Amino acid sequence: MNERLGAVRALGAGFAIATACAAATAGAQIPPEQVSTRSLPPAGNARLYVTDVAINHIVDGKILIVDASKSAYLGTVSTAMAGQTTLAPDRSEIYVATTYFTKLNRGERQDQVDVYDAATLALKAEITIPPKHAQALPYRGTLRTSSDGRWLFVQNATPSTSVSIVDLKARKFVAEVPLPGCWIILPVASAPNRFATLCGDGTMETVTIDAEGKPGQINRSARFFDPDADPLFVSSEAIGDRYHFVSFRGNVVVANVGTDPPTFESPWPLVAPADAKGGWRPGGYQPMTLHAASGRLYVGMHPRGREGSHKEPAQEIWAFDLATRKRVARAPGSMSIALAASREGPPRVFTLDGSKPGIVVYDASRGLKIASRMDGVGETPTQLEVH
Amino acid sequence: MKWLDGWFESGARRIAQRTGRRSAIARIGAALAGSALVLPVLPFDRSAHAQGHGGAGKAAKAKTDTDCEYWRYCALDGFLCTCCGGTVSQCPPGTETSKVTWVGTCRSSVDGKDYLISYNDCCGVTTCGRCLCNFNEGERPGYRMGVFNDINWCMANTSTMYHCTVAAVVGVGATKSG
Repeated sequence: MNERLGAVRALGAGFAIATACAAATAGAQIPPEQVSTRSLPPAGNARLYVTDVAINHIVDGKILIVDASKSAYLGTVSTAMAGQTTLAPDRSEIYVATTYFTKLNRGERQDQVDVYDAATLALKAEITIPPKHAQALPYRGTLRTSSDGRWLFVQNATPSTSVSIVDLKARKFVAEVPLPGCWIILPVASAPNRFATLCGDGTMETVTIDAEGKPGQINRSARFFDPDADPLFVSSEAIGDRYHFVSFRGNVVVANVGTDPPTFESPWPLVAPADAKGGWRPGGYQPMTLHAASGRLYVGMHPRGREGSHKEPAQEIWAFDLATRKRVARAPGSMSIALAASREGPPRVFTLDGSKPGIVVYDASRGLKIASRMDGVGETPTQLEVH
Repeated sequence: MKWLDGWFESGARRIAQRTGRRSAIARIGAALAGSALVLPVLPFDRSAHAQGHGGAGKAAKAKTDTDCEYWRYCALDGFLCTCCGGTVSQCPPGTETSKVTWVGTCRSSVDGKDYLISYNDCCGVTTCGRCLCNFNEGERPGYRMGVFNDINWCMANTSTMYHCTVAAVVGVGATKSG
């Protein structure tokens, strides 16, 4: 091995000398290059994080990082086996809750949170957590920070459900709170020490933690949705404390988690009576997004909806004005399975085309006109986040 | 939806997505007429499926247990073990049966009865990668864990490595809703 390495080095040196001589005699040629690692460009308004479980080799998932405004691939973060991902509220760090086996597909199971620097993609910390993290498809809400970024909440499933609480300052696991029958983490903007979760009896539960991160009071809301007749998609977004959900049959449900227990607004339908014949329903893995500044809701919709069609990709994207609850635009769906609106800069709706897979950029200031698309983004991604 | 005509090429078939469970997305059969398919698409006509999985139509009866549309797979999201060296109720050699499972209720295309189906995963060996299917009748998010299929049901095994999924009849089901 050493001999071979030496030979390669000698060959390299020979090339260097030859190249230097050639350069001296021939004038304008490409100078010899020093191989190095590129720095990540500063994040713009269209940096996206695309989480890919890579189902064909589930032990080796990833986050693909792209600049959708330039259709440029920026870098990759490893997420190992069924890794769940989220970003710090200030976008300084990327968190991955995942599983490693000591022998790839067997051996000792080690679950941990990997902390990456979002400015460099360097691994900053590894935090051991109980070997229970939910080995789910990457969904928004299976891993979330508290609204102030102080704590990290990890959804567990054994399949009994619980949440692990991680102290991000001390970089250590603090406590586990059992939440049987409940699923998904919904941080409370106005109360960083509290999160809510959706429960299988159609209620919400809230968990309040103390200054050390230990769980205390758990409150349960009134029943506000019917998980049998009209279940809620778990992928939701909030404006302040008002979480917006869409249901399988196309109703918008708003939960105010600023009160404890949460309170709920009257649901309203996405599909006006005139459109009812088409059987349009929301579908996908992240079927809705909000653009807070313009008060717009965007939903991926498919026609001829029925029991079991809730993961179908969008045949159209529908835009709604939240104030009037009226549809204001509709556009081709681009087989989208996940939607995420821009947080800053010009209003854009980024979607994940599950068929390529690819990223589609819709210009929300021009009636959802498709501005660009970038294909070949991952293998089986489901989650889309905006820097 | 006349205005869509300009979007979908003439003659295009709209085909449902076949995403894998924990899987994901994947193979959408957006097969435009005349285009070369560069992805391993599993074509499936959404309109035919609108009558219900398995169904009683001629096409449904012709499906075998290596087809995604086979009646038992109405809530299966994953790789078919029948394509991976197993059978509809047996895990492939060298794998372990999952200790926990999710269930579906599917209507048999043979006798028209509803059956309770246990979708056990097979575990411990690297992902099979063949015959990725995704049907979701009666499937619900994780707050109804027993009927949630976007999670690895090898989760309670010593090795949680997901390989493929079987679909065993475990009883006669209740009448389906929806």
